[in-house]
Amino acid sequence: MITVDRVSKDYRTRTGPKRVLDNVSFTLVQGERLGVLGRNGAGKSTLIRLVSGAERPTSGRITRGMSVSWPLAFGGAFQSQLTGVDNVRFISRLYGQDPDHNLAFVEEFSELGQYLREPVMNYSSGMRARLAFAISMIIEFDCFLIDEIAAVGDARFHERCNYELFDKRGDRAMMIISHDPGYLRDHCNRWALLDAGQLTPFDDFEAAHDHFLAQMRVGETVRAAAQPFSRRMAAIDSLRRVAHEDEHFMALVRQADAARDQHDWAAAEAGYAAALSLHPYERSYWVQLGHVTREQGRRVRAEIAYRTACAFGEPVRLLAPFIAAVEHPDSAGPPTAAATPDGGETRRQPPGYPDLAVLSAFAGGTERLSDDAALSLLRRPGAIEDVLARMLEDEGMQAPEITLPDSIAIVPGDAPFRREWLEDLARLAGARQEGLEAALSLGDAPLAALRRAGGLEGWALPASHAMEAARA
Amino acid sequence: MASASQPSLIASLKVQRRVLAALLVRELLTRYGRHNIGFLWLFVEPMIFTLGVTALWTATKSVHGSDLPIVAFALTGYSSVLLWRNMPGRCIGALMGNLALMYHRNIRALDIYAARIIIEFAGATISFFTLSLVFILGGWISPPEDFLTVAAAWLLTAWFGAALAITLGALSHEYELVDKLWHPASYLLFPLSGAAFLVSALPPLGREIVLYIPVVHGVEMVRDGYFGTKVEAIYDPGYLITCSLVLTVVALIATRWVEKRLTPQ
Repeated sequence: MITVDRVSKDYRTRTGPKRVLDNVSFTLVQGERLGVLGRNGAGKSTLIRLVSGAERPTSGRITRGMSVSWPLAFGGAFQSQLTGVDNVRFISRLYGQDPDHNLAFVEEFSELGQYLREPVMNYSSGMRARLAFAISMIIEFDCFLIDEIAAVGDARFHERCNYELFDKRGDRAMMIISHDPGYLRDHCNRWALLDAGQLTPFDDFEAAHDHFLAQMRVGETVRAAAQPFSRRMAAIDSLRRVAHEDEHFMALVRQADAARDQHDWAAAEAGYAAALSLHPYERSYWVQLGHVTREQGRRVRAEIAYRTACAFGEPVRLLAPFIAAVEHPDSAGPPTAAATPDGGETRRQPPGYPDLAVLSAFAGGTERLSDDAALSLLRRPGAIEDVLARMLEDEGMQAPEITLPDSIAIVPGDAPFRREWLEDLARLAGARQEGLEAALSLGDAPLAALRRAGGLEGWALPASHAMEAARA
Repeated sequence: MASASQPSLIASLKVQRRVLAALLVRELLTRYGRHNIGFLWLFVEPMIFTLGVTALWTATKSVHGSDLPIVAFALTGYSSVLLWRNMPGRCIGALMGNLALMYHRNIRALDIYAARIIIEFAGATISFFTLSLVFILGGWISPPEDFLTVAAAWLLTAWFGAALAITLGALSHEYELVDKLWHPASYLLFPLSGAAFLVSALPPLGREIVLYIPVVHGVEMVRDGYFGTKVEAIYDPGYLITCSLVLTVVALIATRWVEKRLTPQ
């Protein structure tokens, strides 16, 4: 049994000591697999290092009544000038085992071949991971400490890792930390949530997961990149990275992926839609949203999602069959070609649903674009600037007294509204966001405010508006 | 299965031996690799140093204040310097490069220092021994008059070097200034360390001052054992032992203190 008794850990920082773990207590017995959830920086790795004995707690006691592994993280603990063989020999000597026997196992398991006799610094990161995992499996422990194992290697290697760890060694105690809740659900039988230095135990995964998600929601949202990209594909690329760094976004899509795998299409749709309303330009999830709405027979929404994905740069070649299937389920009539970006200026690129939602909120004060209106705009050829020009013409002229909505629907369906849509508008029009907000708060009409903030430079818009803007 | 908590003393010693053996091999491989003469560099390198200094001093006919042959003087003096001076050099910053090792519970900061100190000690000792043998057989110097005194002096100097190395190594993990200051300090200490002079050749005030430096006693003692009747060696083994003892306590406290602040990476 491992007993962690009222353990606290402080780290010194330039601004004084920072408490990472505060009075944490738990026990772990043979056969228990404890999964610890927590956001980045919650202290998960610190906790696992303390349990392993690699680091000392500031106060409290940790008693190890069984043998405990070092934290199995990938790629660490190597001397990179040494060869793989030397590293295997070192660990074998350290733990008093027969180096040659272990070498045979590592050779077989890691499939590194001749590379095993090369210095580790010449390895790719995948090769390092394979060597590290093989080395971790040569010493038998009663308790394995596992740090983010999920992120590793190709599927085949991952499968073998899972077999070695959770099947062959399924009777051992384990402590696993991860920010992938699905991984912990599948491999653990007890869970705990680490937040603000406190560890809260749960016997039920769903309860732990709900708390985890709730915590994500109250957390800070990751701000999108503020660079004034003139080319949309560069902007989309950086916005996708921002999305991947947002733990709330990643938690939502993982939840949706899990629902999709269980064919719970409605839950999956809700998850993807909620995720996309946080980061509307992570285009691969528009594809997923299309798939799960198509499964529910909502063809209009599915088509909107697929066409949006194409407009943001997903390969049309792969999506065209799906678009054709939802556009003409009885295969009558020619399919409408999906518009694709060409890497040029943003105003000349085809719009996706979020762009249409933003533009119609801007031009007409609309909170929610109807599905049919959106689809007909998506099917019609034309770039973003043409869409805005048409919207302004259709409105007659933008009424100066128009009020911009606080938040708008940026994903079709019941997803939460998006408050940050002015940020999207500024990015779309090439304007400075602070400038736009300042001009709006001074009481400028939206179009004038956008131009004052440097937006709509070079856009082909109806002449009357250009004149009006010049007057303002 | 790896050992559980509260192991017996015997089991702990076994683990300790295993850890040191594994670290020694790893250290030798990392430092010298398998190319050309491999780990023979361990003592070939200090031998080249000593031979070079011997040749230099012979060529320039250095004044050292005695009628000892210059070869004998350089061999005893420079070998002693290598013994105590290289240990801190290898221990400063040793933890930084080995933080990944700390993931293995059985490896402690002291083990990393110990492995490096053993290697330095072995290199300097083999070099000193081999060169002595060559010079004696070649007829340049005569065999040590009192082998046991030489051995005792050698071990005492090594002890002082080891305690100094661990203290500076542990402090250097928290204060990078230690690393910066050690380099000039080790060069400045070289001429003061007794390698290049005999204490008896100094004026009284000079004697009093240099005898505050512990390693001077070590070098003088080595020369006493080697040349005994031919020189007037001035030293106090008690002073060297006291200094080493105090420094050892400081080293152990510093190591414990720094271990609490270690974060494996």
